Amino acid sequence: MPAIEFRNVSKSFGDRQILKSISLTIDEGSIAVILGPSGTGKSVLIRCLIGLLKPDPGGQILVFGTDVAAIDERRRADRLKLYAVRKRFGMLFQDGALFDDMTVGENVAFPMRHHGGRMRESEIKARVADKLARVGLKDAVEKMPSELSGGMRKRAAFARAIAMEPDFVLCDEPSSGLDPVMAATLDELILEMHRELNIGFIVITHDTAEARLLGGRMGLLNKGELVVPFDATDKVLRSNHPAIRQFFDRQKDGPIQVV
Amino acid sequence: MNVLWCVFTGPRYWGELVRMMDVLARRCLIPVGLAVAPVGAVISLQGVEAFREFGAEGMLSPMLGTSVFRQYSPMLASVMVAAQAGSSISARIGTMKVRGQIDALAVMSVDPVRYVVVPGLIACIVVTPLLNVITTILGLASGWLFAVPIGGINHGIFMANLFAEITPMDLWVGLGKCMVFGGAVGIIAGYLGLRTTGGAEGVGRAANNTVVATILLITLADYALGLLLLALQI
Repeated sequence: MPAIEFRNVSKSFGDRQILKSISLTIDEGSIAVILGPSGTGKSVLIRCLIGLLKPDPGGQILVFGTDVAAIDERRRADRLKLYAVRKRFGMLFQDGALFDDMTVGENVAFPMRHHGGRMRESEIKARVADKLARVGLKDAVEKMPSELSGGMRKRAAFARAIAMEPDFVLCDEPSSGLDPVMAATLDELILEMHRELNIGFIVITHDTAEARLLGGRMGLLNKGELVVPFDATDKVLRSNHPAIRQFFDRQKDGPIQVV
Repeated sequence: MNVLWCVFTGPRYWGELVRMMDVLARRCLIPVGLAVAPVGAVISLQGVEAFREFGAEGMLSPMLGTSVFRQYSPMLASVMVAAQAGSSISARIGTMKVRGQIDALAVMSVDPVRYVVVPGLIACIVVTPLLNVITTILGLASGWLFAVPIGGINHGIFMANLFAEITPMDLWVGLGKCMVFGGAVGIIAGYLGLRTTGGAEGVGRAANNTVVATILLITLADYALGLLLLALQI
């Protein structure tokens, strides 16, 4: 049984339909890459998955057996169910979303302080040091986010996303705004955490190099639709689907049009 | 309604509350003091000669006392909290919203309303009456300065009559008004902050709308409350 399953998920804002009947499955501990041009609904897809957006009625998003799409946050029991689901996820936001008024160490400790159960302060500090060391920021514990470069902020945010050692980390455009070397470093970190901690990753990106490197399973989203079946990356890359070829061969003309 | 429900139910973020109270008290103290202190001085300055013409210098201090206690201090303290704290809370929450930090809280299963709105609301409810106490003292002191050493009114007469018209009810009404107005500032700032969209411009708009909406609300509510208290002869 897959850990995550989208069944006919659509999402509209007013009369503008962003996602059109998306169906896909993601196994526990796997890497899934959702590729697509800007403004095609990739972020909306993962926001629906984590319950930040409510999809249109009719679809289902089963996450570890809980239908996130059916959750009504106004009801306390549903809210607790959603929180239980969210505790199994970490999220790396596009620009990091670190809290400006906290140090890097406090940012990484934040999920542990709020949901770490009976974690002692010494345990929290040790884990903060471990996670920051893994992302190469062990000397940045006392720094404020404003003192960090874009790449450092993203790595600090990555450390926060993996702090609770979740089942899945959602990565929203992890390489955007980074130089190629830093982007490759971050991709390598994703693979390392996947190998060492068996964390699953759902990565949304428009970076074809990143998609190739991460492997796993891949889908291409265009105008809210999965244009090829969500499948193993090698298979998708071999596909002759015009949208895949246009995207990976970096062509201006084809089924994908600039929004 | 959700915000009010969250005020009375857990979980509570005490650290955030203490931090917000500290920030708001520091940020508001000087502007509020500077806004209210001259009011007492102006009342004395205008009143000394007028009352002296009728030989009623003794009436100045009760007028000063009641107007500072009942009206100027609570209202100006609340208006300045709206301007300083309201805009600051709204801009902070708005910035968190447009930078994805509110979503980050939600993803980490921390309710943004409980974590950022409720502490700001409670801080406003607590800090506004405290500021009112300080501004009342400043208003009366500046009034004394212009009436006694500068205006030449007898210190004994001034002090003897200062609190003559003030009842314990005035004290409670003043503090109550500050709590209600402070609460309104906290709720409006939190609401508009969470609805912020559109980057830096949106943050500026949210802060601006908070100040305009809260000051308008405070002024109208103060007027309505004043009429009600007069009608009830309190």
